[in-house]
Amino acid sequence: MAHEPMEPSESDTDSATETLISPSPGSEALDAGRLATDAGTTEPVIQARDVSVYYNDDRALNSVTMDIPKNRVTAMVGPSGCGKSTFLRCINRMNDLIDAARVEGELLFEGKNVYDDDVDPVVLRRRIGMVFQAPNPFPKSIYDNVAYGPKIQGDTRNLDERVERALKGAALWDEVKDQLDSSGLDLSGGQQQRLCIARAIAVDPDVILMDEPASALDPVATSKIEDLIADLAEEYTVVIVTHNMQQAARISDKTAVFLTGGNLAEFDDTAKIFENPENQEVEDYITGKFG
Amino acid sequence: MATETPDVPADSEEQAWWGGESSVSRIRGVAFEYTTLFATLFGILMVAILLIYVSVDAIEPFTADPVWHLTFFGLFVVPSVTTWVVLGRVNPTARTVGSNTFGMILGGLFVAAGLVIVIVKTYGSIAWFAVSISVAIGAAAFYGYLQKRPRMNIIEQAAVFVALAILTVTGIPAIEPLGTPELLSPIWAFILVAPFIPLEWTALAVTLGPLAGAIAARRVGSDREIETPWTVVLGAVVAGSLAAGAIAATLGWNAEAAVVIFVTIAVPIGIYLDGVRTHDPSAIVGLVFPAVVIGGLVAAIVTTETLGFARPDAWLDWGFLTSVHSRTAEDAGIYPALVGSVLMILVIAASAFPVGVGAAIYLEEYAPNSGWLGQLVRLIKINIGNLAGVPSVVYGMLGLALIIRFIGLPLGTVIVGGFTIGLLILPIVIISAQEAIRAVPDSMRQASYGMGATRWQTTRNVVLPQAMPGILTGTILALGRAIGETAPLILIGAATTIYRPPGGIFSKFSAMPKQIHSWVVNYPQADFRYGVMAAGVVTLLVVLLGMNAAAIIIRNKYQRNQ
Repeated sequence: MAHEPMEPSESDTDSATETLISPSPGSEALDAGRLATDAGTTEPVIQARDVSVYYNDDRALNSVTMDIPKNRVTAMVGPSGCGKSTFLRCINRMNDLIDAARVEGELLFEGKNVYDDDVDPVVLRRRIGMVFQAPNPFPKSIYDNVAYGPKIQGDTRNLDERVERALKGAALWDEVKDQLDSSGLDLSGGQQQRLCIARAIAVDPDVILMDEPASALDPVATSKIEDLIADLAEEYTVVIVTHNMQQAARISDKTAVFLTGGNLAEFDDTAKIFENPENQEVEDYITGKFG
Repeated sequence: MATETPDVPADSEEQAWWGGESSVSRIRGVAFEYTTLFATLFGILMVAILLIYVSVDAIEPFTADPVWHLTFFGLFVVPSVTTWVVLGRVNPTARTVGSNTFGMILGGLFVAAGLVIVIVKTYGSIAWFAVSISVAIGAAAFYGYLQKRPRMNIIEQAAVFVALAILTVTGIPAIEPLGTPELLSPIWAFILVAPFIPLEWTALAVTLGPLAGAIAARRVGSDREIETPWTVVLGAVVAGSLAAGAIAATLGWNAEAAVVIFVTIAVPIGIYLDGVRTHDPSAIVGLVFPAVVIGGLVAAIVTTETLGFARPDAWLDWGFLTSVHSRTAEDAGIYPALVGSVLMILVIAASAFPVGVGAAIYLEEYAPNSGWLGQLVRLIKINIGNLAGVPSVVYGMLGLALIIRFIGLPLGTVIVGGFTIGLLILPIVIISAQEAIRAVPDSMRQASYGMGATRWQTTRNVVLPQAMPGILTGTILALGRAIGETAPLILIGAATTIYRPPGGIFSKFSAMPKQIHSWVVNYPQADFRYGVMAAGVVTLLVVLLGMNAAAIIIRNKYQRNQ
């Protein structure tokens, strides 16, 4: 493993939002955006500072500031068009692929603004992997799907071993170990999505972004993915966008609620958000009064 | 309708919910349906009638003894159809295996004919051998260099590649207009003057054999259920091609053709059947079908020949395909034009495919969408469509002006014809490749970018493999159009009739459509106008349909894999 898994410590429900400690020594953190406080349970790996996104002249995200803690599951919920997916795609610069998109503000990954000129988005995406809404395995064999990442990174040592480990990590190994040569498209929807997760973790990223990974799946497959996400958080930082309020409550440690206009309405520990939100609109939203 | 709505008065404002006013539109619908049916059938019927007419002219089936027809019907048609039907009832998988095998025999014959024409007849097996060995040396050197310096940059790689290509393929030739002498002969030139040169069929066997063996080994290797090691496969194919040549040489047959046929027919079928045997042994019964078809054909021919039933006095026969043009219709043949067409198709494919696919990749994957550059790109995209509609005679003039007058390639040669028609089909290749690339779902690209792949890696590993069947289908269909083009050939000065097949892509040539045109306009005799011309048309159509069949097979295979 490229990085040491953090000891998951018991999350303190009250102060984690404000808790910012400096990135671990040895990380490539630069001085920009380095904030330090005394106490805390887990350090932030991604820090957004006044991040706004525009598509042409339309603002999709309005000055979002939040700290995403390491080795935790952070959920982003909100109605359609509230900017949560846009924010997710900012983190690994997938918005670069859209000509019209423009990002303002600072988005720090391990203390380095990912929108700095000297950051190569290709390298960034190797550290911050992504799983998409609809399962999108390549029309290649299961093996080749998982081996794709290591191959494009030119690192094919112990490929068999890495494929096996990734598939085990995605809780898919037992189901597919006898059919690694068959097409990834022959799997069921839920298996395909776990294959995509295996593909994402095969390159050993630090962060996995998930854009509504279970929205195209049935309840059984969804619960498998949810179990998997809990396991993944032991090794990776998981950021997940979801429509499903209960899902966010079940799996996440922190929850960000986005409301209309790309505003981050509230960001706090999941328990706090669901039990005692500060913002009235957030309360209305999560209790189902609107949205 | 009144009968269905007894309760509702005829003048009632409110119609019953069942029936009622829809009758007029229903009649219109039926009329429309039949109009469209007629429109569909009209085109197909016209072409079918023409094809039957031409085929009858080319083959003249009615000149045969009726008993000849009966013999063929009884020994060839009836058993083949019966086997086909029975196999389908008993074991459909076996029938698929049988028809696939038969298709592979036909396709293999097609490819073999092409290889024999290009390698054996035009350039010669020894020249092919020398160039192959030379390229193999170059490839080995490049690979060795890569192994030695795994982390070299792209410029160094390109430099080494170009240097090796010059060394092994082109050399540094004399450029006559500049008066420079030849500086460096490529490696193959030294092989050609080597004191020991293998026999022609041996030269073919030791080059085509390993090539086919490598492909076969790769195929077998990708199938985990087949446990034959790749070395055995490779060795068997090489040994087999040598054996095929040796046996044919001993028996006094054409040893070169034997090697080619072994490589194009026996090897693919062997690999295919090995897979069938591993996955579904019972389906091997399907081989009955090709056996019955071929056996029936041979039996029918032998019977009619020995009993002396007159066969049809066809214009289209082996002699027509293998002899040159003559002023007497009976002796006239299409061979030089056939060779010209094959060589030209090679030049067209080699020039239009890379340029067209490259352009399509740029336009779809790299070109900017916004700003004034985006506008420019949009303008280019629209105008590629327009270029596809420019009349072929205009492309002929472009070829004349650009390739002959400006670049200075000699008039009427294969390479000029190939480049000109390559330009003609370039827009079609670009458009079909664009469509194939656009059909690759964006989610695939996103997935690849999300893994930290660069644009180039995404294009090469995700987009192109998925788009390739579509690109190939479009290109083959475009080549089908190219092979029938006549007007550009007239303008670039292709010969009406030549008596010797072109000796290479820099020789003067004629192509099949040009030759057919010449038979119609230059020879007033009915035999030329109806017989020889029809035989030429059928030959051209068979080549064309064979190419289209290849396109359809590629597409179907692709759809099955999805």
